[in-house]
Amino acid sequence: MNVPGLRVVVGGRAGELAGPGSPAPAGLLAELYEKHAAAVYGRCRYLLKEDAEAKDALQDVFVKALRALPEFRAAASPSTWILRIATHHCLNLLRARKALWREQLRTVQAERQVDTETPDRRELVRVVLAAAPEEAQEVAVLYFVDELTQAEIAQEMGRSLPTIRKRLREFLACAREALGVPLQEGGDL
Amino acid sequence: MNLDLGGPGPGCSALRVRRLLAGELSGVEKERTEAHVTGCERCAAVREEIAAEREALRRDVPFPQFAAGVAEKLAHRPRRDFVSRWAPLAAAAGLLLVTGTTLVLRPPADTERERPKGSVSAQLFVQDASGVHELAAGDPVADGARLLVSLRPEQHKRVAAILIESSEASVIYQGPAVKGPLPQAFEWTGKGVATLLLVLSDSPVDAKTIRSKDDAPRGAEVLQVTLRR
Repeated sequence: MNVPGLRVVVGGRAGELAGPGSPAPAGLLAELYEKHAAAVYGRCRYLLKEDAEAKDALQDVFVKALRALPEFRAAASPSTWILRIATHHCLNLLRARKALWREQLRTVQAERQVDTETPDRRELVRVVLAAAPEEAQEVAVLYFVDELTQAEIAQEMGRSLPTIRKRLREFLACAREALGVPLQEGGDL
Repeated sequence: MNLDLGGPGPGCSALRVRRLLAGELSGVEKERTEAHVTGCERCAAVREEIAAEREALRRDVPFPQFAAGVAEKLAHRPRRDFVSRWAPLAAAAGLLLVTGTTLVLRPPADTERERPKGSVSAQLFVQDASGVHELAAGDPVADGARLLVSLRPEQHKRVAAILIESSEASVIYQGPAVKGPLPQAFEWTGKGVATLLLVLSDSPVDAKTIRSKDDAPRGAEVLQVTLRR
């Protein structure tokens, strides 16, 4: 039962309250949910595969976003900013359980020996990430999943174009070795 | 057979479609992307995928569940964030509440002197037209003021915060008892007198069953503050 005169302000924390010009916290959270939560949840489901883990990760990502609110608001593309936070968060979770991640890669490798159908590209990218170096993992997600060009990735990550190209080649080398098949390279690789 | 892992195509980019739909593109980039997306099968597939993501979100994580989860995780906010914004205010005002089976609001000077070391306590901050400050004993709560409780739960693992007015109760928070502010601020827009109960315990508290300090489970400690308007 609710007291008639009470309004709970969800997420109305000290930091939010301290900013006299800031929007109502409940409104802010609802706005972030409407604009970005679907994409973040999609990214978490794609990388983690488990819905329960993805739900938990979704909330973690928004906690990080709220704690870095000025940076989030100042981002040229809030969608890109929060998806990168989500990708980074999920990759960290996957690295923490590397054995399971590598087991998934071995399963795909075994299936590739007998399966003649073209597999789902993004699923292949996901499992091959397990075999790639850390920075190459994020670059691969930005390139193969978000479909940013190398120049866009370089700008987004604050790295040089040759560095991004090098990371992509590292990822492709890992993919070739892991999958044991030649790869068709994209136009700008 | 050569495997194709994908990547950006001529004019095609999943993230650019997302940005277009989120209203993040403008000028030439917006016009170029709109022109490309119309009639592009690959980009149409991305739009379908984005629509499917929205359905999945609403099905699996509706907003109230999302907001509650985020609020609970925010309760574990690093203390330094709280200290940097609130410590000067807290230090100036002293403590509002002291421990005991039942505690009432007392002047800061008294509470500071009487609070035993290691005991549970709480502070109540208010943001109103005059800014952010700690609510002093007997002060009325201004219209439109936001209230925020900060806890020092000591050994207790769980806390429930309940506002009671005219024998009706509303749960403001129940969950882990973490040193620092609760994840939810609240506004009290009623008139007269209301009582804020903070029930600290070592096991989960069913806040819906609590209408007074006497309903607190055995072993719990209760902090109580009277709000006036």
